[in-house]
Amino acid sequence: MNDTMLGRFYRRAAGLGLLGTLGAVYVALIGIVERFEPRNIVTGYLTLGLLTAALVVFVTAYRATEPPHSWGIGPPPRQHVLGAGVLAAVIGAAGVALFLVLNRALPLDAVLVNANDRMSEILGLGLEFPAGALALLGAGLAFGVAAGGLRLLAPRFRGPLIAAVVAVMLVSLMEPFMRVVLLQLGQNAISGFFYQSGGLTVPGAIIVAGAVLAIGLANSLRGEAVRERVAEMPADQRRGIQIALFVVGIVFLLVLPQLIGSFLSEVVGTVGLYILMGLGLNIVVGYAGLLDLGYVAFFAIGAYATAILTSPVSVLGWGLSFWVAIPIVMLIAALSGLIIGAPVLRLRGDYLAIVTLGIGEIVRILLLSDALRPWTGGAQGILQVPPPEFADIDFFQPQNLYYPILAFVVLGAFVAISLANSRVGRAWNAMREDEDVAAATGINITNYKLLAFSLGAVFGCIAGAFLAVKLGSIFPHNLNLLVSITVLSLIILGGMGSIPGVIVGAFVLVGLPELLREFAEYRLLIYGAVLIVMMLWRPEGLIPSAQRKRELREHEDDEDQWAHQTGVPTAMPAVERPGP
Amino acid sequence: MRLRLPERLSFVDLILWGLRVAIVVFVLVGSYATLSQGVLGFDGWRTLLIVGVAQGSIYALIALGYTLVYGVLFMINFAHGEVFMAGVFTAFFAATALADSGILNGNPLFGLAIIFAVSMVTSMVVAVILERVAYRPLRRAPRLVPLITAIGASLFLQYTFRSLYGSGVRSYPTIEILTGTFDIAGVPIQKTQVVVIVSAILLMVGLYFFVQRTRTGRAMRAVSEDKDVAAMMGINVDRVISTTFAIGGLLAGAAGILYVFLFNSVSFSMGFLPGIKAFTAAVLGGIGNIVGAMLGGLFLGVLESIGPFLFLDGLGVPSTNQLRDVVAFTLLVLVLIFRPYGILGRKE
Repeated sequence: MNDTMLGRFYRRAAGLGLLGTLGAVYVALIGIVERFEPRNIVTGYLTLGLLTAALVVFVTAYRATEPPHSWGIGPPPRQHVLGAGVLAAVIGAAGVALFLVLNRALPLDAVLVNANDRMSEILGLGLEFPAGALALLGAGLAFGVAAGGLRLLAPRFRGPLIAAVVAVMLVSLMEPFMRVVLLQLGQNAISGFFYQSGGLTVPGAIIVAGAVLAIGLANSLRGEAVRERVAEMPADQRRGIQIALFVVGIVFLLVLPQLIGSFLSEVVGTVGLYILMGLGLNIVVGYAGLLDLGYVAFFAIGAYATAILTSPVSVLGWGLSFWVAIPIVMLIAALSGLIIGAPVLRLRGDYLAIVTLGIGEIVRILLLSDALRPWTGGAQGILQVPPPEFADIDFFQPQNLYYPILAFVVLGAFVAISLANSRVGRAWNAMREDEDVAAATGINITNYKLLAFSLGAVFGCIAGAFLAVKLGSIFPHNLNLLVSITVLSLIILGGMGSIPGVIVGAFVLVGLPELLREFAEYRLLIYGAVLIVMMLWRPEGLIPSAQRKRELREHEDDEDQWAHQTGVPTAMPAVERPGP
Repeated sequence: MRLRLPERLSFVDLILWGLRVAIVVFVLVGSYATLSQGVLGFDGWRTLLIVGVAQGSIYALIALGYTLVYGVLFMINFAHGEVFMAGVFTAFFAATALADSGILNGNPLFGLAIIFAVSMVTSMVVAVILERVAYRPLRRAPRLVPLITAIGASLFLQYTFRSLYGSGVRSYPTIEILTGTFDIAGVPIQKTQVVVIVSAILLMVGLYFFVQRTRTGRAMRAVSEDKDVAAMMGINVDRVISTTFAIGGLLAGAAGILYVFLFNSVSFSMGFLPGIKAFTAAVLGGIGNIVGAMLGGLFLGVLESIGPFLFLDGLGVPSTNQLRDVVAFTLLVLVLIFRPYGILGRKE
């Protein structure tokens, strides 16, 4: 590494340090530092509030220790790795200290609601003013050395170490969940040993970190050999293991609500609704490649159709049973999918997104308005939606309502997987990749698009039906654009076209904010960040379907090929004029 | 023009024709019913018209941002409504400070200039950062990728400003010189409406000449025509795209203050509806077309102001004002379905 390169490397580190400052100050100013402060990570030592700001600085410093691949140079000498880490972290910390000085001198909180003394105190490590700012510089130095040191570790140790730290954070954040489960199992002693006032205890943290570190080390040292052994196993033996895992999974899902109690069952039920919607929208967005931002329309239609059919106080007053209503709702869903889909499906991608968004908003405003009041009850909604009836089980209990939701989720996942591997699924793939070529091979584009749209609508409507049952009533306020955006975000996070992705996405984006009340306020901010970050960093999602990954990654290395396949010049995005 | 029926009427065609007929019948019957009842006199309609033009000129200003960006990047900057919100929400603090110190009503022109400057510069900075961080790395990505990013950016900006400035709705201080009415040809018109319409027209004319006559404007048109060739001619494409976002941001920031003249209150979520409506206006006029965006904005404003009453009141629909946004969204849907190339655009 020559001097010019070295200069460039340190300049980049300084820039990243500034970015770290900006990030940490941003996190503080939007109030995350203060709001997350009460949640302990390691009780008595580390809180989530301080950790978020510190992580920003640490991650930027860690990034500073390695030159980007595009520079085409290997890792720099050891002392410079450390030097860059220290430079970035100290600049980051010094920036935060400067911000504290500014915040003392100027009445920032007249404009920025979160720039208060409490925030300054937390950022200043709880110390008095000058001492806190100085301590920050020291902390920056320590962070820089840690970041550089982490980079210098051999990868087989680095991976497990990072995993151990992340595990401590996750296990600590899962406290509300774990506590209830342990309580339900009667394991108060274990709960008391690991958790104390909302965070891990010190011995608990050490045990968690140690366990993950041990597993991680074992995996990086011996993992390859074990995997080879499994691969060499006879087929029927492997099949046996798979079946055993499958059975364990089923049993786990069946006993889950008894294990986690009423509140968490309710949360899991909500997650289930979003998984259903995610599966449905995944057919539309992931399989068929149609970006639908008005998916909430189907959720609303399902919910209102169910309420009108089953509630004794609705305009029809039929008071049908849920099980009789569901097939009717599914029929209405498929029809509404056709009717809404037919006029819009000839539009190209981005216009389709906006039109569907418009339709979703129209549905919402109509539900709220006085014009449809006799049918939908306006802002008051429809009350007295009865729960499903089945063999004297009380489906008002979230623990019991869990089962029908689970049944529909499993059914939905089965349908979605079967579709993906069928002739229809392949037709959708072809259509998504290139409509003209697909049409030329004899695929009826319109029909396949309509099919995707209607299937998606059916999923959405079933989720809506369960929403009505779950709440026992239905109001237009639950049915806005943000539902569509939530479903879209969870698909993007998990990976378009990936069913495990939908499930993980729903648990992370819908389940976690329900558990961690502090997050609830930043939920939509986080969804926005998820959409941006995933598109920039991992467009194929966290758990990509194998095929999407190939599609989205391959072309990065070989742009000419991409251009060749899609007929788009490489230097710019598709130059299409709007046209039908 | 010849009306040609397709040889085979498919299911989709059937739905589309049904939709056309239903809309025309609905508009005709509704208008006839309302007009025949004669609830609103000439003055009433004129008031609605002026309200519509004032609001429409704001939509037009925001729509220019969509159209300019679409012109050079061929993408919908979904977060443009948030760019609009960022400026006017930030300028609120400048406005209260100026009002508290008595400058705003003591020296109103100076005060207003500062408020406009704060709003426009903030919006511009947000727009430029947005482009740099969220859109530039994705210029070669498949089409839907930047659109999803833009939706994310819209949410992210909205809730960032909510967290920074608080979630409440804030009221701008009153600006005394803008209260009251002007008498124009015997018709009393609110001063704010006059100011809004005149400033919007000035800004739009200014933009038109900027794009047509200046070097930068020519560079923008070149980039919009063909980026590769423009780059070969020595145009810095990245900088031109940044400039385009900056101009869109400036106009949105100005539109924000004009919006406040009419509605007086700001909040973090104020950008969504004007954003969508301005997008409708941009598509209506043929996206990428500057004059089209202006006309589209005016048309949408007037339709939204007159439409609900004209089409619905005669049919006995209660509280037609609640359905204002439905008219705008319906127009959006219909335009995109039937004339996605806009009224001034040409089918290709």
